[in-house]
Amino acid sequence: MRVGRSVPPLKQLKVRPIIAGRLLLIACALLGSCDVSARTLDDIIASKTLVFGINPNLPPLGLYDEKNTIDGFDVAIARKLAAALGVSLEIVPVTPSDRIPFLMADKVDVVSGGMTRNPDRLKVIDFTDPVNTEVLGVLTTEDKPYKDWHQLNDRTVRLVQVRGTTPVRLIRDKLPNAQLLLLDNYPDAVRSIAQGRADALIDVLDFVLKFTQNYPTKWRVVAAPIEVGYDCLGIKKGNTALTQRMNKEIRILHSSGFVSESWRSWFGHPMLYDPTAPSP
Amino acid sequence: MTLQFGPILEQWPYLLGGAWLSLQIAVLAFACGMLIGLLCASILQYGPSSMRRIVGAYVTFATNTPQLVQIFFLFYGLPEVGVTLSPFTAVLMGATFNAGAYLCEIQRSGFASVKHAELESAAVLGFSRMQIIRHVTFPHVMKVMFPPLSNQFIVMTLGTSMASIFGVEELTGRIDNLGAETYLSVEAFLVAAVLYIAITLLATWLLTLYGRSVCRARMDIL
Repeated sequence: MRVGRSVPPLKQLKVRPIIAGRLLLIACALLGSCDVSARTLDDIIASKTLVFGINPNLPPLGLYDEKNTIDGFDVAIARKLAAALGVSLEIVPVTPSDRIPFLMADKVDVVSGGMTRNPDRLKVIDFTDPVNTEVLGVLTTEDKPYKDWHQLNDRTVRLVQVRGTTPVRLIRDKLPNAQLLLLDNYPDAVRSIAQGRADALIDVLDFVLKFTQNYPTKWRVVAAPIEVGYDCLGIKKGNTALTQRMNKEIRILHSSGFVSESWRSWFGHPMLYDPTAPSP
Repeated sequence: MTLQFGPILEQWPYLLGGAWLSLQIAVLAFACGMLIGLLCASILQYGPSSMRRIVGAYVTFATNTPQLVQIFFLFYGLPEVGVTLSPFTAVLMGATFNAGAYLCEIQRSGFASVKHAELESAAVLGFSRMQIIRHVTFPHVMKVMFPPLSNQFIVMTLGTSMASIFGVEELTGRIDNLGAETYLSVEAFLVAAVLYIAITLLATWLLTLYGRSVCRARMDIL
């Protein structure tokens, strides 16, 4: 004998599809928004716009000018690249911690802003050839005795860093004994040293020294550098045609002298290490 | 894009430590804020006019400026005059300062809800002043105040997420660190959302049980 299914109460019949539908909508909102492919080189040229992520709080790579628009070394490079593609440039402000998520969520086509090439980042995004180098060093004050960055591996040393930046991992691996204060941006990190809240900061000093001018503190840079990093443009993984085209344009910018001239113009001194030379 | 929760969930002791720190900030700020709020509400209800004006200015200032700005002043402003607070202390003081004003208003409205006739009736029945507070004022006030107090506690718990801006490694700060290290920011913040929901649902449940049993407040258990 075939037993028929019992009929659910009217309330259940109505409510279950509604709940399921809402859950589906939420799931689509969460997952669907991530599941979009990057804009290809052809898409960018067809749309006539290159969307470029730039950190405006990393002067002179990126900064807000007196008209409150984003300018700087990265913007100069971005303008040249957009012009080479024959498209207009759209700048999207990014921070150190959200620049890669912005790229992965296709909110930008290309991202700069101190994008140091490293193996971990290479697992999730692609990099172009280097645009500039970064020399990693230690910023401290004259009253501190440090002569080498290894001396910072001490429980009494209070380091301050910007959340999401490369030196944070270096400190966790190489200087595990030092105290570590993580703040959200460079002005606050430098201010915390000036106010005596921290003893030193490890970062690319070319970018950080600008912030020290706001304070009467007697600043000092530890003479021995830690390492040389290579800043590239970040591109979504697999967007090969765009990466190759950017590489071609970057080579032209180097050979024409535009990169070095622009660096000197924005930083006031030549780049410390040639990005087209082999690593030291 | 496939979501990968594994590298985030592997760090569960680190995340639970952050959640515990968030809860500590919320509970301590709420407890201290309750004392400040009680003192200020008492002054607003029973104090002299000069004191009422001072408390009124505090409540107006604290409720009309963002908590972030208040903590920013404590963290970065005070060192300019020689007072350097630790990140945890600055955040706790800022959260307490902000909460005190809101909790003052909640408690003041609770005091104001006690009808004069109830107090007169108690006095006529021969209750002493302490007995009136114990048997008339307190039960009435708690019944009225408990739901908004619970809401304020939940708001404060979620508000602890701004502590990471000042270097306190609570839940949001640790999630941000994991997102930066693993490049799984979407997964990291989804885990954070689930943990915050768990914390607030647990707190709501405990507060509701307490409110229903001790304060006789009319609150549904979830």
